[in-house]
Parts: sequence; structure tokens; C-alpha cells
Amino acid sequence: MKRGIEKFFILTYGLSSFTILFIISPIIAIYLMMDPKVFTYALFKNIELASEAWSSLTLTFEASIISTTVLLIIGIPLAYSLARLNFRGKSLIESIVDIPLLTPHIVAGIMILAAFGRRGLLNILTFGGVEDTFIGIVIVMIFVSTPLMIDTIKTGIYLIDEKLEHIARSLGADRLRVFKDIILPLSKDSILAGYILAWARAVSEVGALLIVAYYPKTVNIVIYEWFTTYGLKYAVALSIVLLSIFILLFMAIRIVYKRMITIGI
Amino acid sequence: MIIIEGLKVIFKGFKLEINELEIDTGSYQIIMGPSGVGKTVLLYTLTGLIKPESGKIYLNNIDITDYPPEKRGFTIVPEDYGLFPHMNVYDNISYGLKIKGYDDEYIKNKINELAQILEINGVLDRMPNTLSAGEKQRVAIARALAIDPYVILLDEPLKSLDPRLHLKSINFLKNLHKKLGFTALHVTHNIIEAIELGDSIAYIENGRLVGKFSIEDFIESKYGKAYLDSLSPIIKVYKNIRI
Repeated sequence: MKRGIEKFFILTYGLSSFTILFIISPIIAIYLMMDPKVFTYALFKNIELASEAWSSLTLTFEASIISTTVLLIIGIPLAYSLARLNFRGKSLIESIVDIPLLTPHIVAGIMILAAFGRRGLLNILTFGGVEDTFIGIVIVMIFVSTPLMIDTIKTGIYLIDEKLEHIARSLGADRLRVFKDIILPLSKDSILAGYILAWARAVSEVGALLIVAYYPKTVNIVIYEWFTTYGLKYAVALSIVLLSIFILLFMAIRIVYKRMITIGI
Repeated sequence: MIIIEGLKVIFKGFKLEINELEIDTGSYQIIMGPSGVGKTVLLYTLTGLIKPESGKIYLNNIDITDYPPEKRGFTIVPEDYGLFPHMNVYDNISYGLKIKGYDDEYIKNKINELAQILEINGVLDRMPNTLSAGEKQRVAIARALAIDPYVILLDEPLKSLDPRLHLKSINFLKNLHKKLGFTALHVTHNIIEAIELGDSIAYIENGRLVGKFSIEDFIESKYGKAYLDSLSPIIKVYKNIRI
């Protein structure tokens, strides 16, 4: 029996170590590949390249924060409806929400052009089209990150004991009050997780942006352009900046979240 | 007084029919019946969380069948007490009072009064996950009573308690009802709870209300006998002492 358990742990730890190594090796590799001279030249010394790099980073973060925030506002009611309400066509809507997750990114870009482009069906909503505009970037980011936001929040709300809502209503709370007092506080973890996942997905988008809004250039497009124009070392330099921001941000979020749990927020 | 007339409810495969049931104000009404006959469905229908197919529910001669749950004044104490996990005990109990717009002073006095009666003064600032089962039960009852509801609906509130605490809680509820005189509907499978607490027993079988019995009549009925036969001889002695 003991021997069996040991074998199980050896197998588990062995496979887990392999998975971690698989994930961590490209991260280590990219830092090892960095050429400090190219890094300094591209990101600080050469004004043209540096300005392109930093402005693309700023643009990416601005667009991703706006898109994720808009998605949060419009997404929570949908996530709640899918988690709590029973209505005809619910499965269909759940499938529709997941479409961006399953659609190749280039195809997603073409779909957005078809809907919101200058000749698109709904171009009036985008004040004249999405091609090469900031609104275009935001719409692409919203589209591709919708499933991550909705599905994460929906699961969080679904897991809240429905009885708590019933009790709150019997104590005099209307549906809106129950939503505010019970649903929102109890689903804050899933809302935070949904926001982070959707934001990370928005920042990492490139395929659909190549089709819809090559300009103004977001950071992934600049990385891609540097890779094809100047070579891998230049692409590595900017990639490292983006990757480092991600790593530091996620570490900070984990630390803050742990502290929040410890002090009971 | 609550009057239920010609009620027909269909909910998630459950069917429940109640031709007529009257519950007097201030009485302690027990609802009994085998598992899955729709006792909880009845409670949720009374709170307005489930809409009946047909029939009427009257509260003091007012038809409340279409009233939303928040307008009825029927509060629930579920089996697992359903305390709001993100609020401390004080906030749990004060929740309904805050919604009703009472000022902080009134809320504080009301909670202190209830905490005194329910012996939970020492736990008001604690979070629900740090409470014992008995404390959770008292907090849930305090929360339900705080808004002075027309009726308090107890859905097997003593089910998950150990035998010692179970008997203690029966006595506690009995004294509390005597002291405060609220109207209660208490769903249970436990004949001792029913005998000790109830003014009468409404028995549901196969999705239908069989009838409303006095405690004595229920014990003599085939339904009561079935319950008593399933109990140990010691409990049968207890029954003789009680009657």
C-alpha cells in the first residue's frame, strides 16, 4: 500500500515538474537570449524605435483597460442571467458567448470588419468604422476576451448558494438589492479573476488586430514588425518588456489578493 | 391568519396540492410528510419564491398570492441556516432592518434585545464560519425574527444538530415561541419536534395535504403511528409520558 502511494507521488511530482519545466523554459530562454546592447539601443537610444515601442505599450494598456472595463460593465448582467435565469435559448446564448474563444483570430478580425467596418452592418455604432482606429482596437479586444470574462463570472455566480438570495428576498430585499448585497460581494473573486483573464487576453491579441487595426500600432504588432524587419533580437527586447510587466503585475496581484484574504476583505 | 385555498404548485418535478389550510396567528404549525412530497415547495410558495399554478394565499384576509417575496413578511430559516458568509453576525441580523430603513439606534437596540433572548451577545462581531451549529441556528432565527415577520418559516432547522443539542434546541424554540408569540411554520421529519413544538400538524403525502391534525389526533392516526412505530421503545415511553 505504502509502495503504491510512493509510486503515485513519484509519478505526480515527476509529471508536474515536467509541466513546470515546459512552461518556465521559454521564459528563462527569452531572458537569456536578450542582447543588452540591442535592448538599450532599441528601447532607449534610438529615439524612433524607443518612441514606437513605448507609445505602442501605452496604447495597448489604455485600449486593454478600456475594453476590459467596458466588458465588465456589459458582461456582469449577462453572466448573472446565464448563471441564474432559466429562459428559452439559454444554451444557444452560452454557445454564442464562447464563439470568440473557438474562432481563429484572423477570422475574428474579418468578422469584426464585416460587422463594424466602413461597409459593415453596424458601422454606425463605431462612428464610421473600426479600420485603423482606437475604437477598432477596443472592439477587437472586447470581442476576443468576452468568453473569458463571462464564463469566469458566470461560474462564480452559479456557485453562490441560491438560498442566500431567497433569504435576502424574504427579509425584504428586491432583486436589485440582492444583486448588490449578496451576488456582487460573493462573486468578487470571480469578477477579479474574470477581469484579469480578459485583460490579459486583450493585451495578447494580435491576429484580429492585424486585420482590423494595424494602425495605431499596439505592442504585439510592433514586436511582430521588429521581428520581420530587424530580426529576433529586437523582437526579444520589446517582448521582454511586455513579459516583465506581466510577471510583475501578476505577482503583485497574487500578493495583494493573499493579503486581502488574510485581513478578511 | 394565513389561509391557503385550492393551491396547486408544480416545481422541478414536484406536485403539491392543498385544498384548504388555515394557520392561526401566533400558532406553531408543524408540516410533516415523507421526503420529496413538497414540504419545502410549500414554504417557498408561501414566501413567493415559487409561483403556484392556481389557488390563493391570504394573509389576514388580504390576497397575497401575487405579492413578491420582499413584500410578504415571511422569513425563512433553512436547514443549513443560510447565514450570509461575507457579513458578521450583527450585519446578518440587521440586514432586514436596514432594508426596511430603520435608524442605527433602533437597529442596535433591536439586535441587543434579540441577542439577549437568543443568548448570542458574545458572537455579534464574529463571522458565520467561526460559529458552532447551535450558534448559527440562533443567529438565523434572530435574523428571521428581527424584522417582526408575519410568519417565520423553518425548514428542518434542527436536522443537522447532534442529539443532545437537538433536544436542547427543541426546548429553546419552545420557550422562544412562548416568549415572543410569533407565527411559525416548521417543516420536520422528527415526531419529537412535532409533538414538543407544534400546536397542530399538517400532514402531506404524495403531493397532497392529507389534513391538519391536533397533536393527539395525529399520534392516533395511521400517519402518526407509522412515525412512532419507527422509533425506539424508549421514545414510545416518552410519548406516553407526554400524553
